[in-house]
Amino acid sequence: MSASFAAKRLGKELQKISNSLPPGIELVSAENFDEWLLDIKVLDNNPLYQNETYRLKFRFGPSYPIEPPEVVFVQLPDRPIPMHPHVYSNGIICLDLLGQQGWSPVQNVESVCMSLQSMLTGNSKNERPPGDEDFVRVNRQRPRDIQFYYHDNDV
Amino acid sequence: MPPPNTPEEGMAADGLQPLYDEPLQTSSSHPSSEMAHASQDESCILKLDYQNIEYIEPIDDTLLCPICKTPFHSPITTACGHTFCAACINRALETQPTCPIDRQPINKTRDYRRLPLIIKDQLDRLQVKCPNRGCDYECSREHLEGHYERRCEFTQVRCPDPTCTKLVARRDAIATKDCMHVDVACEFCDQSMSFPQLTGHYNHECDANFTECPDCNTPVVRHRLVKHRTQDCPEGNTQCKWHTAGCKVVDKRRIVQEHEQSGCSFEVVGRLMQQRVEDRKTIDELAARLTKVELAQSRRRERRIEHSSRAGRSPIASSSRSAHTTTNLPDITLNNNHMPLFPGSAADDSAAGGSAEDYMLARFERLETQLERFERLETQLEQVRQQAREIDTRQSHMILQQATHFSEQLAEIGSKVGVVNMHMSWLMSLQRQSNAQQRAGSAAAGGSSGSGMSHGSGSGGGARPGSSDDSGVRYLGESRRHSEGRPESLHRL
Ligand SMILES: [Zn+2]
Ligand SMILES: [Zn+2]
Ligand SMILES: [Zn+2]
Ligand SMILES: [Zn+2]
Ligand SMILES: [Zn+2]
Ligand SMILES: [Zn+2]
Ligand SMILES: [Zn+2]
Repeated sequence: MSASFAAKRLGKELQKISNSLPPGIELVSAENFDEWLLDIKVLDNNPLYQNETYRLKFRFGPSYPIEPPEVVFVQLPDRPIPMHPHVYSNGIICLDLLGQQGWSPVQNVESVCMSLQSMLTGNSKNERPPGDEDFVRVNRQRPRDIQFYYHDNDV
Repeated sequence: MPPPNTPEEGMAADGLQPLYDEPLQTSSSHPSSEMAHASQDESCILKLDYQNIEYIEPIDDTLLCPICKTPFHSPITTACGHTFCAACINRALETQPTCPIDRQPINKTRDYRRLPLIIKDQLDRLQVKCPNRGCDYECSREHLEGHYERRCEFTQVRCPDPTCTKLVARRDAIATKDCMHVDVACEFCDQSMSFPQLTGHYNHECDANFTECPDCNTPVVRHRLVKHRTQDCPEGNTQCKWHTAGCKVVDKRRIVQEHEQSGCSFEVVGRLMQQRVEDRKTIDELAARLTKVELAQSRRRERRIEHSSRAGRSPIASSSRSAHTTTNLPDITLNNNHMPLFPGSAADDSAAGGSAEDYMLARFERLETQLERFERLETQLEQVRQQAREIDTRQSHMILQQATHFSEQLAEIGSKVGVVNMHMSWLMSLQRQSNAQQRAGSAAAGGSSGSGMSHGSGSGGGARPGSSDDSGVRYLGESRRHSEGRPESLHRL
């Protein structure tokens, strides 16, 4: 029942975003209702992000949109991890919008992408979060790193 | 990278697919719960799923629930003035007891308000399609549940075989009393399926056995040729869809479609007529219900009269009564036998019985005419009420449309201002940085240029534009988020 609730809502979102997305956001793949990939670009000429495209991976649980999706940046040869004091070098994003407290079920994939776009647009610090190297090193030792991080935060 | 359009094409092409699949899946996975439902309401086992209804016209954004993004279903308004489907907000409140839009605390049910009737009216009037595959029925949303649960012959109901727990379309259940859940193979593609599914398979799935349409020469699946020629073929002749309103245009379908899209002048009349037909339907339904009630009542009254006359009368009188109702044959013969034997008494008795009956009948007839007059008055009243309601909603609809149009424009302007604001603040911070750099450069010639970027004072204004626009983006202070969880020890580094 709850799984199909998420699927129905994602179906509606997919219908909408395959018709139109705001500039700088592009749907890469949405083959199922578990995982979607999108590309985002920063539109102004902030020197930190100029001419770069970033790949976002959304993972949806069965209670989406009541629960937030997991959103991370993914690294590929032509898709770097953006430099930002809230983005770890393994792609994990530290944004309260995506946490249990900051999330609201009226948010959607498109609004999350736009928020991340503006998070990057507004940044001028060419740096990673404090303790990034160690966090990423510790994190890599865990097999399901991303999930571990989020579960860990919930507790 | 997969082609970006693959998934949505799939979505659009078989939008009806999930609607059909769901009941079948349910039927195979939860046979026991289905039985329980069936005993509660044997006419319809699967309740109408409002999230899966297909709407004929595009829906105004103001009528969409912000949580499920479908038009509201039994919505409520919160104390803070936001509207959600009752089911959606209840689910959201289980996780967090605040309004999903403005974070005001909400107490479940105590802070729920009823929705303005004008919105309810708008929702009721949305034109929808019956979600059952194979059914072309269209109506306003308020009538859909009745159609789906009681009348639609494609609705899945319990198999007429009491030992079988599977579902069949209602018309198949009516057509035969035998279980049809024995698999048969499609003669064209060798897929096997249950008998009731076969028609659906022919009409929607089976892609074997192509033939060529004689009109437009495109390949068409043979089972769908008739449908193609009568409904889809661009070269087939058809009428303008407003022909019932008086449009005389008849031509090849593609030309007629062009005509319809460019705005048939009979469209307004046609829509009004559709509305009338629907109102008529409501009235008829009400009238039918009324006559049923009346019939039951008069039958009860008749029985009471019978009872009282039988109690007070001799067997002969009762026989004359049965002659009147002409159902009891042996009684009539008895009466005939009696007549020659006791002419006097029989005549006497029947006369006495007749007069009492006549009196009753006369009263009955008077009652009946009164009822008729009452009924007529009631229909008239209903018609007047309907008309008043129509005018009222049409006006309020107009007002609301204008209002939503304005609010849409406002929202658009608002979001544009937000973007401009964001860019402004970033530009300003950049400007401040370059100013600072210039100053530093002139003060100490040859100062390092690289450091200007990382600790420019501009970051105070530029780093957090999210807090100035209201998109809901707030960054957690590193002190909170970063120090919780894993990297706590690292933070001290
Ligand atoms: Zn609210
Ligand atoms: Zn809803
Ligand atoms: Zn139907
Ligand atoms: Zn059966
Ligand atoms: Zn077949
Ligand atoms: Zn054709
Ligand atoms: Zn026409």
